[in-house]
Amino acid sequence: MIITDEDLLHELDRRFRECKKMLDEQKELSRELAIANKKLIDSESLKSHFISSITNEIINPFASVLGLSRNILLLKNGDWNKVSNMAKMIYAEASGLNFQFRNIFAAAKIEAGDVSIESVDSDICELSEQVIESLRHEAEKKNIIIRMKNDFNLRKFNTDPEKVRLIMVNLLSNAIKFSEEGDEVILYLENDNRNLVITIVDHGPGIENLEEESIFDRFVKGDSNINSVNPGHGIGLSVVKSFTELLSGSIEFVNSGEGCRFTVKIPESRTSTDIYNFSEEAGNENESNNEVF
Amino acid sequence: MGQDVASTYYLLPSALFVTKQQYYVTTILGSCVSVCFWDPLLGYGGINHFMLPLWNGRELESPKYGNVSIKKLFDKMLELGCKKENMVAKIFGGGDILSMTNDKFNIGERNIEIAKESLKELNIRVTAESIGGTRGRRIVFNTKTGMVTMKYIEKS
Repeated sequence: MIITDEDLLHELDRRFRECKKMLDEQKELSRELAIANKKLIDSESLKSHFISSITNEIINPFASVLGLSRNILLLKNGDWNKVSNMAKMIYAEASGLNFQFRNIFAAAKIEAGDVSIESVDSDICELSEQVIESLRHEAEKKNIIIRMKNDFNLRKFNTDPEKVRLIMVNLLSNAIKFSEEGDEVILYLENDNRNLVITIVDHGPGIENLEEESIFDRFVKGDSNINSVNPGHGIGLSVVKSFTELLSGSIEFVNSGEGCRFTVKIPESRTSTDIYNFSEEAGNENESNNEVF
Repeated sequence: MGQDVASTYYLLPSALFVTKQQYYVTTILGSCVSVCFWDPLLGYGGINHFMLPLWNGRELESPKYGNVSIKKLFDKMLELGCKKENMVAKIFGGGDILSMTNDKFNIGERNIEIAKESLKELNIRVTAESIGGTRGRRIVFNTKTGMVTMKYIEKS
């Protein structure tokens, strides 16, 4: 077989063009890679921050629970007082863990778009008392009094109680964290035209202006000086915000310089009959004024 | 399969729903946008409901945002076993229900834009749409047949 010069030139030209095409593709891929890298660096720094705070907030309480329960097991001739004290501490540490896990799983569900509203007639007053009770130990450690002012006069309020509970626990727990020894934290419940209004006031150092707009951001915690004394991995408030939005509510935040005031307003859930109507109509594809796609 | 065996599901804003079964998924859209993915070969469907176009990188990375939501919905469809080349999409919503003449507030339009852009990037064909305008919409998506019935609503 004879290869002519022309054939050779033609083949060379083809290969050059192929090469150029590959280089162009590579350039485009490198550009995409640079963008992806930047994103990765950003999320990596957030993640490492998150992981280090998780260590403090999850491993440490676990270590306490393990240590305390081991001590109970090792106690000879059961000293009931000691056992009772240690059980109290285990309960407190476990409650804290329970709260952290609920936040993390709530955030994961929100990010997966896997959230639903399970509304039932709820006793808001009883719910608030349970929330305060669950934080009693945390408050007692700092000698903080949680006062409840209840002007919410509805016996039954249709909402998703577990979401309202997590909203309250987060806001109250934050208020406790940012209060000083012996301060007072107020939980105020009101009924504004069948809207549940939850106001939580503390007398802590407040939040610096710069941080105000980012307080609802995930993984963002307050100023680092505050960080050192106050734990938190910064997802609490972003969960509060998402849940409030989910319940068609609103959240307001006022920083008075003499502490913070968070106000959450939640309307009563759509009545279950409304949802029922949606599902009733849902199967009816032949309705006259429906357009079909 | 008759209609009587199909279940119904009410899709909340910022949520996603994918299924292998036949469901009638209802959602109400104002300026929000829903993208319905459907695999005609398998008869699997998925739908989202997002409120804002782009994740600001700050709040939770949730399907409240179009760019996050469409990507997550797409991934979930793949997890069900759908093939990208078989999937088709329908887009609904993005109405300018507040009738803001000021363009920069027109979230509906920006939501539509991100939906179209994302689908183009994923290379998924859009087979139907009812977008824009000044009214809200109530849509019902049949996940088995891919059919969407839509009704305009004045105010939700």
